Amino acid sequence: MSQWGWVTLAYIVTFGSLGVYAWSIAYRLRTTRRRLRELE
Amino acid sequence: MTDRTSTWPWVVIAGAAALSFTLAMVSPADAVQGNLVRIMYVHVPAAWLAYFAFFVTLVGSVGYLATRSLRWDRVAASSAEIGVFFTGLAIVLGMIWGKPTWGVWWTWDARLTLTAIMFFVYLGYLALRRTTTDPHIRAKRAAVLGIIGVVQIPLVHFSVTWWRTLHQPPSLIRPDGPQIQDSLMLLALVVGVIAFTAIYAALMVKRVELQAVEEQLTAAELSVDRPVAGEAVTAPDLALGGEA
Repeated sequence: MSQWGWVTLAYIVTFGSLGVYAWSIAYRLRTTRRRLRELE
Repeated sequence: MTDRTSTWPWVVIAGAAALSFTLAMVSPADAVQGNLVRIMYVHVPAAWLAYFAFFVTLVGSVGYLATRSLRWDRVAASSAEIGVFFTGLAIVLGMIWGKPTWGVWWTWDARLTLTAIMFFVYLGYLALRRTTTDPHIRAKRAAVLGIIGVVQIPLVHFSVTWWRTLHQPPSLIRPDGPQIQDSLMLLALVVGVIAFTAIYAALMVKRVELQAVEEQLTAAELSVDRPVAGEAVTAPDLALGGEA
């Protein structure tokens, strides 16, 4: 793989995983709030 | 109930990521490493946040033990989870850089090995937090590990100077100052570190909020009267004398 290929892979991993992690926090926040509302 | 749905942390994350990416792409290639140096502009900030996040976990742990306030515990727990994410990211990015540079994905070098141990210790911290639902018992147990675990930060950072390692010595945080000659390369690295720190702060805002809501949910679930039997089993109607 060329140097630019490794660089592209690194940036996909960085910002891809960051996006997934940020989304997971937002998802957990939304679903936890919903369950809390259902209990109240 | 906590119901803040501010969107600014997501805007900060997107903006900081875009800034870091742009500077990393416009900076020049390195004389020795070529374009692979661009991986450093995300690897170094991720490694910095691993240190910083676990230091904040230490602060939160000490804060909890001193005040017994769960606010401190939320900070410690949230920072530990984000720290595990960035430690894992730093390890993976190091592997992606190592394969074309060293010829191997992994080697049992002091820096790499100690970073992997730190990653697993803080995974253990997160696992420890799931052993009880009592918030204060959980906070106390986690605080002890959060304080002990921070010893690893200087071990990881100075491993490249204390032992003979394949990993290169620090290029930014060192006694004789940064060892990067090109101003645009130095700018890309410094702005990358600042942008990633802003991303960490934005993630912390949301993660602490999540921790508070999860605690409210656990407390609400424990206070609800649950039927001893399943919902399919109905109590006998005593008004009818037990007859159908």
